[in-house]
Amino acid sequence: MTLDELTKRLSAARKAVEARGETFYPGPSRIHLASFPPQERWDDWVELDSRSWPERTERRYMLVPTTCFNCESACGLLAYVDRDTQQVRKFEGNPEHPGSRGRNCAKGPATINQVTDPDRILYPLKRAGARGEGKWIQVTWDEVLDDLADRIRTALQEQRHNEIMYHVGRPGEDGFTERILAAWGVDGHNSHTNVCSSGARAGYQYWMGFDRPSPDHANAEVILLVSAHLETGHYFNPHAQRIIEARQRGARVIVFDTRLSNTATHADFWVASYPGSEPAILLAVANHLIQNDLYNREFVRQWWNWREYMEVEHGDTAPTFANFERTLKDVYQSFTFEFAAEEAGIDARTIAAIADVVATAGTRLSTHNWRSAAAGNEGGWQVSRTLFLLNALLGAVATPGGTYPNAWNKFVPKPIYTPPHPPRWNELTWPVEFPLAMNELSFLLPHFLRDGRGRVDVYFTRVYNPVWTNPDGFSWIEVLTDEALVGLHVALTPTWNETAYFADYVLPMGHSAERHDLHSYETHDAQWIGFRQPVLRAMRNRAGDTVEDTRQVNPGEVWEENEFWIELSWRIDPLGTLGIRQYVESKEHPDTKLGVDEYYAYAFEHSVPGLPERAAAEGLTALEFMRKYGAFEVHQTIGPIYAQEVPRDDLQDIGEDRFGRIYTRAPRAPSPNIVPQPSPEPDAEGRRPIGVRVDGEILRGFPTPSGRLEFYSSTLAAWGWGDRAIPWYLRSHVHPENLADGQMPLISTFRLPVHIHTRSANAKWLDEIAHTNPLWMHPIDANRIGVETGELVRVETEIGYFVVKAWVTEGIKPGVVACSHHMGRWKITDVGQRQLMTTAALAQQGSRWRLARKRGVEPYSSGDPDTRRIWWTDAGVHQNMTFAVHPDPVSGQHCWHQAVRVRRADLGDGYGDISVDTERARAVYREWLRKTRSAYEHSPDHTRRPFWLLRPLKPPKEFFQLPEPVGGGSS
Amino acid sequence: MELFRALAIAAEPPQHETMRLLALLGVDGVITRADYTDLFVLQLPPYASVYLGAEGMLGGEARDRIAGFWRALGETAPTEPDHLAVILAVYAHLAEQDDAARGPRARAAAHRARSAFLWEHMVSWLPAYLTKVRDIASRPYAAWACLLQTALLREARTLGPPTGLPLHLRSAPPMPAAGDDLRELLASLLIPVQSGLIFTRADLRRASQTHGIGLRAGERLFTLTQLVLGHPEVLPWLEREANAWRVRHERMDPVLAPITAHWASRATAAARAVTAFRHALR
Repeated sequence: MTLDELTKRLSAARKAVEARGETFYPGPSRIHLASFPPQERWDDWVELDSRSWPERTERRYMLVPTTCFNCESACGLLAYVDRDTQQVRKFEGNPEHPGSRGRNCAKGPATINQVTDPDRILYPLKRAGARGEGKWIQVTWDEVLDDLADRIRTALQEQRHNEIMYHVGRPGEDGFTERILAAWGVDGHNSHTNVCSSGARAGYQYWMGFDRPSPDHANAEVILLVSAHLETGHYFNPHAQRIIEARQRGARVIVFDTRLSNTATHADFWVASYPGSEPAILLAVANHLIQNDLYNREFVRQWWNWREYMEVEHGDTAPTFANFERTLKDVYQSFTFEFAAEEAGIDARTIAAIADVVATAGTRLSTHNWRSAAAGNEGGWQVSRTLFLLNALLGAVATPGGTYPNAWNKFVPKPIYTPPHPPRWNELTWPVEFPLAMNELSFLLPHFLRDGRGRVDVYFTRVYNPVWTNPDGFSWIEVLTDEALVGLHVALTPTWNETAYFADYVLPMGHSAERHDLHSYETHDAQWIGFRQPVLRAMRNRAGDTVEDTRQVNPGEVWEENEFWIELSWRIDPLGTLGIRQYVESKEHPDTKLGVDEYYAYAFEHSVPGLPERAAAEGLTALEFMRKYGAFEVHQTIGPIYAQEVPRDDLQDIGEDRFGRIYTRAPRAPSPNIVPQPSPEPDAEGRRPIGVRVDGEILRGFPTPSGRLEFYSSTLAAWGWGDRAIPWYLRSHVHPENLADGQMPLISTFRLPVHIHTRSANAKWLDEIAHTNPLWMHPIDANRIGVETGELVRVETEIGYFVVKAWVTEGIKPGVVACSHHMGRWKITDVGQRQLMTTAALAQQGSRWRLARKRGVEPYSSGDPDTRRIWWTDAGVHQNMTFAVHPDPVSGQHCWHQAVRVRRADLGDGYGDISVDTERARAVYREWLRKTRSAYEHSPDHTRRPFWLLRPLKPPKEFFQLPEPVGGGSS
Repeated sequence: MELFRALAIAAEPPQHETMRLLALLGVDGVITRADYTDLFVLQLPPYASVYLGAEGMLGGEARDRIAGFWRALGETAPTEPDHLAVILAVYAHLAEQDDAARGPRARAAAHRARSAFLWEHMVSWLPAYLTKVRDIASRPYAAWACLLQTALLREARTLGPPTGLPLHLRSAPPMPAAGDDLRELLASLLIPVQSGLIFTRADLRRASQTHGIGLRAGERLFTLTQLVLGHPEVLPWLEREANAWRVRHERMDPVLAPITAHWASRATAAARAVTAFRHALR
């Protein structure tokens, strides 16, 4: 046969295959760049069974998409469900997911460990003895639901709404449970955010209104990371793969990290800055741009609120741009490379080199800060504020390769019901001392309760573990075991955790493949939605079966939260008299409960532009499409929304303030995307803000009070922080001038690449890879203290100490120590997770607590033969318990860095020993509370908080009014 | 250009559909994973940089030159731009663009890209590589190599001669001057673009069997050095190998002449270098 004949034969064969809607060339392959099973074969995918090797045994799978429930990225997963056994055999990446694009980190595939974990909780449990005694009995869901519903209904009827609280870790969904709380009329949402990202969020919000960045790493020329984003950052996998793409193109990467993180090893510049000095370096870079006129003058002129700044702060100078530029030079001139070098303990030439690189980025500078330095230091919110200053100087805002506001790269479909936000204010979470707090003062709850500021009658912890995660865990134990302060504690969790031991009910919730959630994250300049679903339910649906309740397909009696909350709400208000039932009632079948199919079908059909049409093209409903593919890209490129012209129809009877803020009487057009937005105040005549005038044109601008990027925050200035109203450097609580003799900073905020806080200890693969957290220590410090790698050291904090192994390494700056918080899981009885939890003895004497390791991790018999193969005994040390609370007086963020003394362990010290005095913890709490500036003294309008700032549940405006002062509320 | 895309499949680990595709190409027999591993992992890695690079190793400037071709086209190069499967797929794509181009300028540009890619990054090494595959591979792979060689020749004939010697070959380091550094000599023999020879592990095994001597396990250079150090009679065998390669290059289709002349001249130089060293040894 000739070559031409061969080619014809091939073409004919390919066309015949493709006419059937199938893929001709096999994957994985470099030929068509598909590394995944083609979609048309997802219903019946054949692979050889690895365990049968060397026999070639074929196994047939149905591939069902879901999303990962470990970190917040919610990367796409494909569950390989065995068609014969109807069991999930493995998880791989979902190529249809626009954020993760088929790629996953170790935590995604390890979901299978979590699903098959022999120690997971499979049935609802009720405590049998005293709280924390460790005795449990299995109860029915009906019993639990009736008990909870009665208790909550009674609280609502007695107007004790503020005694119901829902405390959530990373939610992994966009607002479902917040709407349930809103339906109950309860201002009881309590997030973990103030121990996580509030610091960074605050810095971003004061600039652009939105509280998160969305860096377009893939298209950047220069990537500046104040975090370890390549290995563990927020949206880590989606961002990491885009950073790598940029590097392959030749982009340069600058990493600020006191440790030599995996990310730092891949950087062109590793900046091992002294903890807390990051803003000084960033301001030195900014100063270089300013003094040398290397910034984007036109962008600054058009988009900064410089006129307002000049009028308010430099009223004696004409508010011209030329004068502003001169002022800018004056204000920042002290931030020289030498000053920053002195503060950061690095070479001034390095900072100069970084400044030169940043100056070349133009509008392709992507920057990112999350947790890290912003979460470590008092004033950490200035880290993100000074970082974004560089974007604002270069005009690298919502540009290709620049940094976007998150909300423009996020799509939250409007659901079937949106109950109004609760008509009340919960002082336990939003106290007057912190009027500008980004999120709830969650980690202060034990202290507030002990202050007598209130009590909690029903306290839900949802996949959250404050005893272990939060600082000052012993105070949490004290409160959780006091039934006068916490009436009923319900732990919603797939697996055991330290907080669940102190619960009244432990209710098994589903993992990634066992629950519904809908989410959208700002992974790049696009908008997408991802759909987490119970894969066995989806499989049964595909096979034509109907599943009404996810418990029918989940292991044991594991439930999903959506159905749980709907059922609980229904039972709280079975007759609809409380106004709750209306929000969990089917529209298709009135007087019956809303089902998850109807809930999601509504959102997909009505609120996701393009999805119904796309689904119809494949002969599917929108819900069927999402169940089949697990994700949908709503928009591919968003671009600079701020520069869009406001449509003429939106401009009715407009008002304009002297800085060009435009207000309109045109009603807000309904949007299918209900992504949370700040809400700048209307003008004096009640018009709503709509845009900003720039060079004569009315453009959309930013959702800030001024409508521009706020170099100068009138909010900070008005609420008592005028001294911090522009991007500035605040010396941290661990700055050398704040350390006593012999103290050094402890960095405790960093993650281990394969783990994710409290959530991944039940993944055996991950446990085998990482199961310890030694104290990083430079050889200089090790020599001074006289310890070598592996020897025990005692780390003394303000309120106690912990004993840990030293790891002597040049990968950390001298004079600083570091210990990851990702380890040190423990259990006090045999109940618990055995692969990464040691068994510990807990002892209390007055306010003095001790936790001592009794047994390490060891092999054990279970249904999984691998548990006999556990070879590690270590599970690390729990350090967070020895940290006092450090609420930042502005952002409310817990400032994690600790001033510690490190010395050789005493003879009687054992590895993992922890000792804390909670009375001392109370004293430190009071010290930090004294730093705050209460709304009572600083509110400009007798409100509790600026109305325009974001708040997860946002009561109507009248509830922002300050109440008359009561005891314990004012500083 | 369906043909090149299909031929690319064989340079990937075999899957269920690989044999179906190869059968369509008239390649019979069964390819196992073991065959694939032996040929492409142990003997002849399917990466252009190994045969065109100045170090005879994966990556380096040779890979970067191929990546540069992508960049010149305004595309982002894949992780392994020099993998044979990628190269064939790219060529199929370029050829289709050439065939589909409309307008004289677009047609000229597309044609130039196709021709440059063929001569610079394919014909510069594949004739020698495929010759070696035919020598040592199992029947289906040998048949595949034969078919690919034929297809390449037709493309070369269709597109006409190159404008000059490919940069990979112009940049190839010369054989070292005669001297007494055995290690340097043997190292250069293992760099195809320098010596004109492709020496696999199978060749080393053949040398040991021919001379009835044991083979020291290790990387190729170590193994070859140990062979020669313990048994100088391997040197004449190396000379014969180099001359045999010269003949092979010279006998290739004349349409490949500019390329094969380079490879033949390098094989000649390699044979001479070994001879000189042997004489120096006396």
